[in-house]
Amino acid sequence: MTLQKLRIGLVCPYGWDTPGGVQNHVRDLAEYLIAKGHYVSVLAPVIDESAIPDYVVSAGKPISIPYNGAVARVLFGPIAFSRVRNWISNGGFDLLHLHEPAIPSISLLACWAAEGPLVGTFHAAAKRQKAIFAIGPILEPVIEKLTARIAVSEAARSTLTEHLETDAVVVPNGIYADRYRDGELRAEWGGNTLGFIGRFEEPRKGLSVLLEALPIIARFAPDVRVLVAGPGDSKDVEDQIDPQLRHRFEFLGKITEKEKADFLSSVALYIAPNTGGESFGIILAEALAGGAAVVASDIPAFDSLLGNGEYGALFESENPQELAKVVIDLLRDSEKRKSLAQSGKAYAQRFDWDVVAEDIYSIYEMALVGGKGVTLSSENRAWNRFLGREGN
Amino acid sequence: MEKFFFFAFVVIFAIWYLSYSATRLDRLHHRVETSWANLDGLLQRRAAVALEIAKSDIADPASALLLTAAAHQAREAQMQTRSQAESGLSGALGLLLNDGHLVDGFIEKDLLRELSELTDKIRVAIALHVDAVTRTQMVRKKPVFRIFRLAGSAPLPVTYEFEADVL
Repeated sequence: MTLQKLRIGLVCPYGWDTPGGVQNHVRDLAEYLIAKGHYVSVLAPVIDESAIPDYVVSAGKPISIPYNGAVARVLFGPIAFSRVRNWISNGGFDLLHLHEPAIPSISLLACWAAEGPLVGTFHAAAKRQKAIFAIGPILEPVIEKLTARIAVSEAARSTLTEHLETDAVVVPNGIYADRYRDGELRAEWGGNTLGFIGRFEEPRKGLSVLLEALPIIARFAPDVRVLVAGPGDSKDVEDQIDPQLRHRFEFLGKITEKEKADFLSSVALYIAPNTGGESFGIILAEALAGGAAVVASDIPAFDSLLGNGEYGALFESENPQELAKVVIDLLRDSEKRKSLAQSGKAYAQRFDWDVVAEDIYSIYEMALVGGKGVTLSSENRAWNRFLGREGN
Repeated sequence: MEKFFFFAFVVIFAIWYLSYSATRLDRLHHRVETSWANLDGLLQRRAAVALEIAKSDIADPASALLLTAAAHQAREAQMQTRSQAESGLSGALGLLLNDGHLVDGFIEKDLLRELSELTDKIRVAIALHVDAVTRTQMVRKKPVFRIFRLAGSAPLPVTYEFEADVL
């Protein structure tokens, strides 16, 4: 990166203190840029204002609305809008980086209010929705203001082209690959184990597909065990499990980063049976970086992340028989498993923040050409200039 | 009286909408200009690097000749012939670098690294520019923009036929 120090404003549309991929991405990016010596301020909805890092500015308490098969915590309204305006006019930013500007939240408000070098990142991948076509004409002039558009995956990019008729540059989500590089083998997680990480209570994470496949897998691999890590109440899920298979399950709860690294290098196979709603699949990138052999459903995001099956085995989404077949095949062939894990690990380095942030930064540089800092767009209206009025 | 207020409202709204649309189009024209300036700068740098490669040990005399000619053409090309000239340079660089012979020497490696970094950036810059141009063309086709001549005297931006995959 160049020596030029920038003042960068990041806008996160979802509640800062709720778990989520976009939030993690914004946090990691902010911390990476700060470590490089830039000044970074993150504007985000916050629930508990006493527990935020000092680079985060609260825009108010988020509101819960259902979106894309999950509950999204977003924020809009006149008070939020005035906070966004204040943040922009007081920040003196060289550049704003807006995340998910097509979601009704503060990123969209910031895009509406700001003028100057704006970069937008689109995370979501959604199927064609009629509603979007009605919203399109409203969003169009706003999204148009973005100097550069980034999509986190091909799936997100095609969503963008379909819904808003605009193209984007693909820059993947980042991971800290070195955190997962040297996980230790733990005997208690070794053997014929299938790993699963995630909020297993959410149906779209697809744990039920794995549950259905397990009886078939157990017939061919009698010592197979399933390790489930992630936050959530395991009671409900355990009740669904066939009592004869229950002893094969182990719920580890929420695990630390170090444990995650060990987990990924210990398990025989990492299983991602997600049924949809996934745009990038950051956990797969982490699993690959941790040296796990990956088996994933063939939803578009996973298919493209795994290079059409080159760096991890794919099975038809929501098809337990095929999942079982792929798993049994790999459990029997340790050579194939090893070579899959090895090629995956080398491939995953391209998702490292060192690579990803560099790409994002070079897009910043392009957006900055001809820019003279971010201002409120109302300051630039012809009549305000004519009247010699300053924006508030 | 009511009629008057309604009429006044319509007029004010129309004026606001036209001013808003004009700002929108102005912003798009600005985007086209800056994205072009950005792309132009990167292409100039690439031509400079290509000339250095031609002078270095990487290139044999024949390729050096070809490369130098292509780089000069790219630098001096007019707007209309620019994309053709740049594609020519891409081709010349491709011929030299794709045959996979190993390069040693610190300066040579540095040159090639710089070139590949530039190529990545150019690919992004092309995407940004093409998007700005198509967007502007699309907006300018809308009736409001045509009837009220909101584009003023600004020339319609032209799409450049850069082939990103040739790079």
